[in-house]
Amino acid sequence: MNPTAIGVRRRIYYLFIFLAVILFLLILRLGWVHLVQGEELYQMALDNRMRDVPVEAKRGTLYDRHHKELALSISSDALYAIPPEVRQSGKEQQIAQELARILGMEEAVVLEKITRNSRHEWIKLKVPPEQVEEIKRLRFKGIDFAEKSQRFYPKDNLAAHVLGISGIDNTGLEGIDKSYDSELSGTPGRIVIEYDAGGREIPQAMHMYIPPKDGHSLVLTIDETIQYIVERELEKLYQARQPKAATIIVMDPSTGEILALACRPDFNPNDYNHYPAVNRRNVAISNAYEPGSVFKIITAAAGLEEGVVRPDTPFYCSGGLPVGKHTIHCANYRAHGSQRFADVVANSCNVGFSSLGLNMGVNSFYKYVRAFGFGQKSNIPLPGEALGILVPQSQARDIHLATMAMGQANAVTPIQMLTAVCAVANGGNLMQPQLVRTVLNVHGEVIQESSPQVVRRVIAQKTSEELRLLLEEVVANGTGKNAQVEGYRVAGKTGTAQKPAPGGGYLTDEFVASFVGFAPAEQPQIAVLVLIDAPQGYPYYGGLVAAPVFSAVVKDTLRYLGVPYELPVQNSSVEVPAGEKSIEKKITVP
Amino acid sequence: MRLKKRSPDFLLFLTTMLLLVIGIVMVFSASAVVAEQKFGNAYYFLKLQLGWAAISLFAMVMVMMIDYYRIKKLAWSFLIMGLVFLVAVLIPDIGKEIKGAQRWIDLGPISFSPAELIKLCMVFFMAASLSQTGEKIKTLRGLIFPHLGILGLVVVLVLLQPDLGTAVVLGGTIYLMLIAAGARWAHLFGLAVTGVIGVIAIIISEPYRMRRLTAFWDPWQSPLDAGFQTIQSLYALGSGGLFGLGLGRSRQKMFYLPEQHTDFIFSILGEELGYLGVLVVILLFFLFIWRGLRIAVTCPDAFGSLLAVGITCMIGFQAIINIAVASGSMPVTGITLPFLSYGGSSLLFTLLGVGILLNISKFSTSR
Repeated sequence: MNPTAIGVRRRIYYLFIFLAVILFLLILRLGWVHLVQGEELYQMALDNRMRDVPVEAKRGTLYDRHHKELALSISSDALYAIPPEVRQSGKEQQIAQELARILGMEEAVVLEKITRNSRHEWIKLKVPPEQVEEIKRLRFKGIDFAEKSQRFYPKDNLAAHVLGISGIDNTGLEGIDKSYDSELSGTPGRIVIEYDAGGREIPQAMHMYIPPKDGHSLVLTIDETIQYIVERELEKLYQARQPKAATIIVMDPSTGEILALACRPDFNPNDYNHYPAVNRRNVAISNAYEPGSVFKIITAAAGLEEGVVRPDTPFYCSGGLPVGKHTIHCANYRAHGSQRFADVVANSCNVGFSSLGLNMGVNSFYKYVRAFGFGQKSNIPLPGEALGILVPQSQARDIHLATMAMGQANAVTPIQMLTAVCAVANGGNLMQPQLVRTVLNVHGEVIQESSPQVVRRVIAQKTSEELRLLLEEVVANGTGKNAQVEGYRVAGKTGTAQKPAPGGGYLTDEFVASFVGFAPAEQPQIAVLVLIDAPQGYPYYGGLVAAPVFSAVVKDTLRYLGVPYELPVQNSSVEVPAGEKSIEKKITVP
Repeated sequence: MRLKKRSPDFLLFLTTMLLLVIGIVMVFSASAVVAEQKFGNAYYFLKLQLGWAAISLFAMVMVMMIDYYRIKKLAWSFLIMGLVFLVAVLIPDIGKEIKGAQRWIDLGPISFSPAELIKLCMVFFMAASLSQTGEKIKTLRGLIFPHLGILGLVVVLVLLQPDLGTAVVLGGTIYLMLIAAGARWAHLFGLAVTGVIGVIAIIISEPYRMRRLTAFWDPWQSPLDAGFQTIQSLYALGSGGLFGLGLGRSRQKMFYLPEQHTDFIFSILGEELGYLGVLVVILLFFLFIWRGLRIAVTCPDAFGSLLAVGITCMIGFQAIINIAVASGSMPVTGITLPFLSYGGSSLLFTLLGVGILLNISKFSTSR
């Protein structure tokens, strides 16, 4: 053996070790890929090979407080194509022709959809059952149906502004359907099929059905019957007076629960496309108005709570109160003369309230305006709530104070106004307005329950009691006589506000007539706000237009709620539908 | 010098046969769907591979019987033949262009790759020349003339196809032979640095190579482009887990992983047979390298010894690079996995090499 051979031999050992080490490193590397990253890579590979068809979750039902269905979801069949399968079948033309014939669609449109470069394409949603049958019988490759749920509002226009609308893609667009979308919509499921890279289904392919998780249902605070009453009265008024807008809200003052909320103009959520967009506006929460005299409730509450005024505090109304360069007048330039504060409230005396406001001063007045929730969202769970507009406190002069005290200068939303009045009615607590009582899961089990929430105490129990009596007096003997309800003691306040003209001053021909009150006065079960924006014709006063509607609503609602009569009922014509009777009553100008 | 003939190395033979059988099974499994799709015949690639296996095995047995010393005498002739084909493939009318590279020579019904031929021819030539050079390899002159000179010429021709993968395998193999032949470490170090710089220069000069290199660092940067093969390969291997999805049950072979029965057959094997299958194949290559180098060590003459080193390293090094690519440990470069990948030339020249190894093993000294 030659001597090099020994050197060569050693070098070959090195080579062996070198190659062996590399092989060992590869074993480690492959172990990492196979065993450590394996699961993750497998999932990624699977996702890469999967085509999926979404299966929509069924949207939850909206119930009224007595579990009557207000909005539900019904299933419809939606036709879809898996274009790679269609292309592979080679029958694109035939499929397009047949589908176009059955569905009554353009053949070219169908052909474009079923051959589009995508994994999944909807051809038509909401296919009628007989067409579904016919298409299924043809058994085209790559053409199939998936269940899609569609929102259905069985009571049509009833409470449309509360319930809202939801779109074809199972999302809430307005109302409760929007604000509770995440609870209602559930989680979509999927049908997953494994495909090869050319879009062909593979033998022994992975098929998976991941079922959708249906949405939760909501039990609303709305009472369908009260809502009917409200809708009926509002519709009657709307037809008769053709205002720009109108709304009625019924609230339980002790809990803050909204029992009914209706707006005009309205729409049918099943068919919302056929209505002007303005009809979908929820006037009760999205519009801010100068409240007019109904706001005097707030001024009175502030004055009583601050001790600036007592029910028997003497006032004198000469018909005008000079404030700086301006003069405050009472309605129709009437002079109320000598009166107690109780009379000031009953007469809705502007001079009296303005001087009360001026006596209180800016800081005290604003304290109550804010405490009652004005200038802030009520946080009612509906989209599109307005803040309202307050004159900034730093800029408030005497004239502002004097006009704000009688309900001008500031703008408030109907829901803010009613919520504030509820605080007066219930003993002094500002309640959080509520629309949803409970959230139910698919099995109807309660998974979330709301309880009344006190936002803050605004006035003392005693102030509340005093003010209730004053407001009862308004209805019994003052400007709100038309709001009287036979058999019950009713408290409330009328309002007739001028509408600010664009560019300053007020419109002379447009008014907002309103009435807000509660009954029974001693132990209020309901608080109701009626607001009519620009009624056509005369009279336009809150006491003449809004108060009778209030009366009709309260009468039927209290009767429906089984609230016992407090006062003797003179005639027994309780069968006569409310509203019609009130209108016959003698009307009194405020 | 004539020694008593012994029986050829049985373990090497067994290893070869096992790898061959695994290869044929995997070629069928990996190619059936593509073959069905492309040719309407799931057995298309299986049949061809079986035919080539038969021819190659026959060739292997024939080579086992010749006097391997005749290779030494014919080394220059082999080299020239290899060079002729290598030049011929670059001529447009002779070479067939596939996917932008001119790598195949059409010979009627079959086509063959001169790159496979030149690798074997170069191993022959180097073994012959290095055994002749002896101690003079330790001089720079002995190293460069003719060894590095010839290597440089061949590498340039291979790169003209262009085929960086083969160039790397060839360069690596010859480098390992130079180590075995006893070249100075200092020279070897300088050569390694030159080689690495050369490879980097070639990569930078070609945008697609550069993209492959960057895609290797993070294939998910370009999952549909340069990183595609690496990702699909990792998907396959990772899906296999420990035991694999089962023979024939690969999903990635459904047109997701390109070259699934050729360059990336290892990935399909990993998907179907899992980490255990992968370990078996690596173990078989380890056995092959061990037996091959053992034959080199026990061979009484320098030529046989260097020839055994060259053939073993050629096959072993190529296997390592292929597996490294499949496992995402290296940028993608299109070379086959010896014994396993589909392909006639690859199988023929690999088994010819094994035949020579077995031939040499018959003359080993008793150790």
